[in-house]
Amino acid sequence: MVRQVSRAPIGDPWPAILPAVLLSAAFFLVPIGNMMRLSLTTPDGLGFANYVAFFEQAHRSDALLRSLKLALSATAIAAVLAWPLALFLSFCIPARWRIVALLALLAPFWTSFTIRAFSWQLVLSDNGVIAVWIERLTGAPVTLGILYTMGASVLGLAIFGMMLITLTLFGAMTAIDRRLIEASASLGGTPWAVLRDVIVPLALPGWLVGVTLTFIICVGDYAVPTLLGGGLNPVLAQMMLSTVKGTYDLPTAATMAMLLTSVVLLAALPLLALGVMRRARP
Amino acid sequence: MSPADLVAARPMRAALGALFALALGVIYLPLLVMMVFSFNSGRYQTLPFREPTLQWYLRIAEDRGFIEGLGNSLAIAITASLLATLLGFLAAYGFHRARLPGKPVLIGLVLAPLAVPLILIGIGMRLQITALGLQPALWLVLLGQTVYVLPLAVLNLRARLLRVPPSLEEAALSLGAGRVRAIFGIVAPACGSTLVATLLLTFTFAFDEFVIAYFLTNFEITLPIKIWTTLVTGFDPTINAVGTAVFLFSLCIGVAAQVVLLARQPRGAGA
Repeated sequence: MVRQVSRAPIGDPWPAILPAVLLSAAFFLVPIGNMMRLSLTTPDGLGFANYVAFFEQAHRSDALLRSLKLALSATAIAAVLAWPLALFLSFCIPARWRIVALLALLAPFWTSFTIRAFSWQLVLSDNGVIAVWIERLTGAPVTLGILYTMGASVLGLAIFGMMLITLTLFGAMTAIDRRLIEASASLGGTPWAVLRDVIVPLALPGWLVGVTLTFIICVGDYAVPTLLGGGLNPVLAQMMLSTVKGTYDLPTAATMAMLLTSVVLLAALPLLALGVMRRARP
Repeated sequence: MSPADLVAARPMRAALGALFALALGVIYLPLLVMMVFSFNSGRYQTLPFREPTLQWYLRIAEDRGFIEGLGNSLAIAITASLLATLLGFLAAYGFHRARLPGKPVLIGLVLAPLAVPLILIGIGMRLQITALGLQPALWLVLLGQTVYVLPLAVLNLRARLLRVPPSLEEAALSLGAGRVRAIFGIVAPACGSTLVATLLLTFTFAFDEFVIAYFLTNFEITLPIKIWTTLVTGFDPTINAVGTAVFLFSLCIGVAAQVVLLARQPRGAGA
């Protein structure tokens, strides 16, 4: 039996994106617009008074500087360490083992950030594992004094960033056409020349993606600075949370959130520019 | 000469391998310490290790907070992963096939929550609901976490859709299937394993998410919030047991997701 089929014209499937776009607009874009409005709201109408007040209070502007310093230090360490790790993963290990190594590197990402940060307390605290081991080796009591310092926060975030940048670099390195490497080597390139002239330039965009994401995540992180850095010298994220949950000074909280948003946008600029350049290239 | 020799000479490779092993050691050392301490009967978190015990694991079951948090977290994470995978699949399909002015901007909007600190999603929604006169609640946590994991779903599924031959759905469309039927009857099954992996990945990310949930609840708790409050209000060794259990649980789901994804890839391509 032949079924009669109505041949209504099949339109463009653009409505498929609507639910996702509406969800992101309603719960991400609109709230950021609302934050901007709130941060510009002052008792005398619209203005930048909240921002001026933020920078006039040293304990607030210090928190912003601390966030920047923490994120820059952690990202810098991670950005360097990721190169040898990704090189090893991409080129120096048999394919079968590579999957295992990749999974080992990926695994911590799927698990709670909070729990990983906390587990470092057990290692770094003054009666933690490292301190006890040092005491056993030297026989003398030691005070590490690492936990609840900026250094501990940098360590925690640098390890996270190291994994993230290694992964984006690995993605870029495996995408390199092996024939380019072979050509470079057969033309007399030493491993160092292959690295400098082929691998590094081609992997650089992947590195930049990882570095940018790491900086952005670190500059707004709350868990690591609280659990490892402590509460005495808060970073911006800690101050935002205590303002919203503690003092309910919402315009100030919105101002801090907008400053964080600006930092994120500035950090993403190189990447966005790279994307636009690629799109523009014929 | 092996291909690896072109990139690094043998001693250099050994050095790189040693560094890689060291990095894995640094990543896993604290987690191993936590696991060991979760079986330590000593009240204080320090060596020497005392008798092995399961008491901290038994304590979890006695604490209503952990059980309540676990229930809420499971409910929210399951719903968020279903929602994000469905919307993410539709969006990935739409972005792949639609001709639409301003498409890059819309893609950017949907992917953006993955590229900002989570605290901005949390505080943004918190200030918004306050402006609307709403109270923090678990359903808002669900929405916030869905927005956060949606980009993961879109990215995963877009990569998969690129490898589904367009002829499949063209055949369905020309044989009279409607667009909806072609999407769910033909394209979705062709992405089957990636849909499963996406469900698992979005589930673990939502299950472990803390900051958005912390901003969007007052008294109701999720498991990460219960863990957090236990951590910051004085030490309780139960947390080692909870941490170990949550770590292993998330690890299993994450590895399962990755294995499903890797198994899909044709042999020899990529990793």
